[in-house]
Amino acid sequence: METMETMEEIETIEKNTILIADDAEINREMIKFIFDEQYNIIEAENGEQAIEIIKKDSDKLCLLFLDLLMPKKSGLDVLAFMNEEYYINTIPVIMITGEATDETDEKAYEYGASDIIYKPFAPNVVMRRAKNIMELFEHRIYIEHKLEKRTRQLRESREKLERSNEFLVNALSSVVEFRSLESGEHIQRVKYFTKLFLKYIMKIYPKYGITKEQSSLIVNASALHDIGKIAIPDSILLKPGKLSEEEFEEMKKHTIYGCELLEKFKQEDNEFYHYCYDICRYHHERHDGNGYPDRLKGDEIPIWAQIVSVVDVYDALVSKRVYKDPFAVEEAARMILEGECGVFSPEMLDCFRLAKQELFAVTEGKFSFADVMVK
Amino acid sequence: MTVQEFYDEVGGDYNEIMSRLRTEDRIRKFAGMFTRDESYKTLVQSINDGDAEEAFRAAHTMKGMCQNMAFTRLFQSSHEITEVLRGKDIEGAKKMLEKVTEDYDIVITGIGKLLA
Repeated sequence: METMETMEEIETIEKNTILIADDAEINREMIKFIFDEQYNIIEAENGEQAIEIIKKDSDKLCLLFLDLLMPKKSGLDVLAFMNEEYYINTIPVIMITGEATDETDEKAYEYGASDIIYKPFAPNVVMRRAKNIMELFEHRIYIEHKLEKRTRQLRESREKLERSNEFLVNALSSVVEFRSLESGEHIQRVKYFTKLFLKYIMKIYPKYGITKEQSSLIVNASALHDIGKIAIPDSILLKPGKLSEEEFEEMKKHTIYGCELLEKFKQEDNEFYHYCYDICRYHHERHDGNGYPDRLKGDEIPIWAQIVSVVDVYDALVSKRVYKDPFAVEEAARMILEGECGVFSPEMLDCFRLAKQELFAVTEGKFSFADVMVK
Repeated sequence: MTVQEFYDEVGGDYNEIMSRLRTEDRIRKFAGMFTRDESYKTLVQSINDGDAEEAFRAAHTMKGMCQNMAFTRLFQSSHEITEVLRGKDIEGAKKMLEKVTEDYDIVITGIGKLLA
């Protein structure tokens, strides 16, 4: 921190050169003698020279006195160049002119000149105005540096926080997988599939108004969909055969248990909390109201929960489980599209059709899955 | 010749120049620079060549220098010719050149005496 401050100070001390661009030596000297005790002076006889010097020495220049009417390139040409190359933001310009004509004055200010002085020059006034402008610029540049630094720090700490968050959510979700003796990749796949679905939702269904920020929160929240299974007894969770009706009723309650768990740390005003809650609770609801636990239907089911319900079903179908062999991808797709695993909304089925090949590619291991999840 | 006498002779404003440049030494130095400047030569040349744009710039530069040097009389005539040339009126400028030359010669001769 301290070294940074010192560096900034050195930077401003080094900027101690004034460029005077005027075609008449006498006019340059008139300004030069005012400043040459305190500043380095570089002179340019025409606009072209001035541009060359700016290109070469911009980091040393603290002020430019610029005559309007010069051979080769005019003062306005120099200003135009400084605008194009953004020098105008770091080097203050004082225009020199013989007469006050509103037209050129206005143009000079429009092109970003800080001030205009008229011949003949009164040394004290020129000095005072120049110093004011240099101070103003120095201060502005200093503030901008500071702001930039602060913005960068903020962004870095936000990214760090996001990474830690994602890590914690992943760790928490894998607790359940670990207990159910699954490979541990189900959650990564659900996240990836959710992301794919969201891509298509945002593209073809703007009516849901999902933003990029929301999308990444939803993807993270999808990892927690089965968190409630932590409360399901081993005898049911790990049972190799078909569940009895009673056992299945208990199994269904993982949606409720998940929410109970989350409610202990309720954050009413946190968007992420609500995605987690909705996904835990409603990822087994169905479009026609035949899902569980609340038998919601249609639009009552939040779109993020609808997404997770489809991708969860798809991944369950194509995965090997203790009680079943995996289905082939085409067969799984057919079962979903034909409503054999419950009814999904037409929008979800549209997205499923669009994302199908990409889902298959993951299931069939056509690309390294780990690579995809890395951002 | 003193600087005061010089300014009186060429139709300039001694008090003004002193208030800005502060020392007579400095005024002498600037007067020397004035004789080296080629704007007048360029003005004459470009009027003869019929190059109104170049002539305008030369006249404009001259006018600016006169302003800075407080050469009031030469400033006035170079100001007038500048305005005529701004309108690209070469013929009009030719007529005014005589007056400019007259005022210019007085200044140059004066500087010669001042620096002698």
